[in-house]
Amino acid sequence: MRRVALGDQTAFASLYDRHHRSVARFAHRFVGDSARAEELTQDIFVKLYRHAGRYRPTARFKTFLFKVAANHCLNEVRRSEYRVARVREDPEDGRPLEVPAPDAESPHRAVEGSELEAEVAAAMARLSERERTAFTLCRFEGMAYRDIAEVLSASEAAVKSLIHRATLSVARAVDRWQSGAESPARSRA
Amino acid sequence: MSCTVESDLTAYLDGELSPDEASRMKAHLATCEDCRATEVLLHRTVSSLRALPPFEPSRGLRRRVLAQVETLPASSWAGWRQWLRPVRLVPSGAALAAAVAAAFVVNHRIQERHRLDLAVAANYELLSDYEVVGLSADDLDVVEHLDELEGRP
Repeated sequence: MRRVALGDQTAFASLYDRHHRSVARFAHRFVGDSARAEELTQDIFVKLYRHAGRYRPTARFKTFLFKVAANHCLNEVRRSEYRVARVREDPEDGRPLEVPAPDAESPHRAVEGSELEAEVAAAMARLSERERTAFTLCRFEGMAYRDIAEVLSASEAAVKSLIHRATLSVARAVDRWQSGAESPARSRA
Repeated sequence: MSCTVESDLTAYLDGELSPDEASRMKAHLATCEDCRATEVLLHRTVSSLRALPPFEPSRGLRRRVLAQVETLPASSWAGWRQWLRPVRLVPSGAALAAAVAAAFVVNHRIQERHRLDLAVAANYELLSDYEVVGLSADDLDVVEHLDELEGRP
């Protein structure tokens, strides 16, 4: 990071190669949309490059990275709420391409993979922002409660509570879906 | 679900409880059917989540990120770091030392001038008598030794 702070782009490329999958996974679970997750990942790494000088070696790099990532994703979610259609460029000819925003409440997101994945995404969308952040870092990044507490600037006790509430909420939603009880995914099918 | 330890179940599954807390939880699970059911539900879900395929970003993302970064200036801190490098710091230090020396000389001259002005003020009448004009540092000695020059004790 010291080299990145001095504008060393080779060091930055190496940093990207080592951590981009984790950040992209986090963003993907957070917003539930592949294209948006890539945009967020790009934003997060650019932000990391621009503010590399703020990193202090006293903080673990992964914690610092996810603090940046979590704040960015939270801000983006608050700003857009992903309810409106967005215009993106067609990668082939650069023309504007109308892409409907994914509805996190909808279980019908075939593009995102399995029905279970859609059900989990729908359940996560109902969590509070902090629950979703803690849940994502714990379940998909395997971070320890202590590190999540640092990312969220919260106590370990608070993180324990957030993760428990979130996991139980998702577990009950998945259980209802698997039991076929009043699931929109099943009722529409 | 009214057990007071129910909120610790997830931490228990995640291995985040202390050995003592984990032992107490294990003993509790042996006697509490509700908590056992919740533990099974949580365990099943956590296992299902682990089985979900990880998101794999496209190869184009790397190219886009690096291309964008190439167009950016280095971090603002980098600018300061550049200025703190010895190659810049040594000449800068020399310039600073020269500036301090110049300031010292100017300050000394101002103080000298100030001292002179005070002497002039204190001996204004005498100076008027001697019609002293255009005083310099040398003139100060004259002013200070006016009595001797006049032959007074």
